[in-house]
Amino acid sequence: MSRRESDPRDDELHAFLRRAVDRRGFLQRTALGAGGLVLGNSLLAACVGKEGAKAGAADSAAATASSAGKTLRISNWPLYIDKQTVADFEKATGIKTEYTEDINDNAEFFAKIDEPLKRNQSIDRDIVVLTDWMAGRMIQLGYVAPLDDSKFPNKANLVDSVKDVSFDPGRKYTVPWLSGMTGIGYNPKKTGRELTSINDIFDPKFKGQVTMLTEMRDTIGLVMLGLGKDPTTATKADVEAAAAKIKKARQGGQIRKFTGNDYAEDLAAGNIAIAFAWSGDIQGLAADNPDLRWIAPKEGAMLYSDNMMIPKTSDRQDLAMAWINYVYDPKHSAQIVAGAPYLSAAKGTGAELAKIAPELASSQLVNPPDELRARLHVFRALSDAEDTEFNRIFQDAIGA
Amino acid sequence: MAGTAAGGSRRSRLAPYLLVAPGILWLLVFFVAPIITLAQTSVAVPDGPWWNGFQRALGNYGTHFFRSFRYALGATLIALALGYPLAYVIAFRAGKFKNLLLGLVVLPFFTTFLVRTFAWKTILNDGGPAVWLLQQVHLLGAGGRLLDTTVAVVGGLTYNFLPFMILPIYVSLEKIDRRLVEAAEDLYSTPIGAFRKVVLPLSLPGVFAGSLLTFIPAAGDFINAQLLGSPNQQMIGTVIQNQFLEVRDYPLAASLSFVLMAIITIGVLAYARVLGTEELA
Repeated sequence: MSRRESDPRDDELHAFLRRAVDRRGFLQRTALGAGGLVLGNSLLAACVGKEGAKAGAADSAAATASSAGKTLRISNWPLYIDKQTVADFEKATGIKTEYTEDINDNAEFFAKIDEPLKRNQSIDRDIVVLTDWMAGRMIQLGYVAPLDDSKFPNKANLVDSVKDVSFDPGRKYTVPWLSGMTGIGYNPKKTGRELTSINDIFDPKFKGQVTMLTEMRDTIGLVMLGLGKDPTTATKADVEAAAAKIKKARQGGQIRKFTGNDYAEDLAAGNIAIAFAWSGDIQGLAADNPDLRWIAPKEGAMLYSDNMMIPKTSDRQDLAMAWINYVYDPKHSAQIVAGAPYLSAAKGTGAELAKIAPELASSQLVNPPDELRARLHVFRALSDAEDTEFNRIFQDAIGA
Repeated sequence: MAGTAAGGSRRSRLAPYLLVAPGILWLLVFFVAPIITLAQTSVAVPDGPWWNGFQRALGNYGTHFFRSFRYALGATLIALALGYPLAYVIAFRAGKFKNLLLGLVVLPFFTTFLVRTFAWKTILNDGGPAVWLLQQVHLLGAGGRLLDTTVAVVGGLTYNFLPFMILPIYVSLEKIDRRLVEAAEDLYSTPIGAFRKVVLPLSLPGVFAGSLLTFIPAAGDFINAQLLGSPNQQMIGTVIQNQFLEVRDYPLAASLSFVLMAIITIGVLAYARVLGTEELA
């Protein structure tokens, strides 16, 4: 394969990603802490968590025994892949693949898979894709099977900056799928003007025509930025201030809905004018709605990363490894990014993308310019107790 | 051991128990056991007294409870207003179309609840036919909308539970002895009088059953509020779902479920007393 080892565009991006990940300063905690407070029934969860960690390692060895002829089952977020890659993968490897876009919200998805994984039961999925903070929780609870590096030669393509993340040192359990930014998606036809600020979402002119995300870190983070606060150092008072602003807007009818990926439908259907939106989604809608636009507001945008991992109860881990290895080929990675314009963590993706979609290769969505990078923020890593507390405040604000 | 005759009578004594055994077993496994688990969850508060969940459930979610019962009541009344005349027509006037009409009432069940509610999202879209029509007749202002409003949520609840209203009313109307109506007319009752004095009282058990079958699931529903409502229309079911799935505050979620069950039980008992149906006593 002929790929240029060091595209300058790539290096820049990688240095940037490292900065983002370093900021997280993830709190190291035992499995005991991880399940406990969030679950409520702490003892049970913690015990199972610890056992789970041991069982996970044992299972993964046995699991690869025979998965020939079985179907690989992948769960990912909507609008997060191109239309060709799954079919190409099936053709190249002969592995039948069931790619499902059924993750709409980290916490909600976790609640679905938590019980079976705790009991060491299958969740009928071989790869799931979850955001950093949730990936950390999954690993600590012992729910994730280690990646088999012998089946992952393309791991060499993993950009240096994300090789050592605090929630998964050495990337033993997870590798990034894609990274993205949370900013504002809007329909200029409905807003009647260009938007630049987060606080445009609170403009009374757009009453009942805006949506925010159910992901606490995204929504609170953006509103904090609008208030001139930095989510990288979020305090309880900051979260309360942002939540109060959201609650007031919600009660006044400003906010039409709190959504997961489903804001895309409302934006496309013309039900809403403005949404807190993930950077690559709008491109996915552009085929039918060329007017829609995504911006990183002047106050800043949020940065996050979603990671592939293999649930410990998967009995097809070699198939999963084949997929992970496949998508870390920069050619394939570029094809995915061409369909879902997010930031890839595979070296050489930029160069490959320049060949197949030159205009996109220089887009801020897949390669943010310095000026934009400086405005991106990662929500501070939270302890479980903080996570529960902030979530309570947030749920009250969104009226659920 | 006793002879065969004694064995036979023992068998007949046992028969009723054997007949109810599967039902009892089912209830034990799928009703009693979950209720016990739920009760345990509701008091397993990690960082406070056991009643902490109940305290918060009763203290902080009054709006949601009140809203849920209001919406459920609204949906039940609309369903009754729509369902009773329809059931009446099917029972008394439909003739050879009776089975066809009954089939149409049941037809929506052939697709799932969730898909049908999603379909309403499309129908009620801001740019959709329903909004356009209402704007043409000036029932809705230029900037008005249907989706994510109270109208959409109550409408969705009514739509989803309407068959549960129609079918019991139909059954109770259907079994009314026609000769009673004829007798009333023979005794110089007007048609309206005959309906009011004969048909309506005899159909009340159906109305009672239908309104319970509509009201109870509607009060606990979370899909309609979530898909068709804005954050200001969220019902208690949505809150419970959120506390279970998003916040994972299990004691609060379980406490909320118990409070909901308690209120509904009390309401149903009061309603049963008012309507005085012996069938359920």
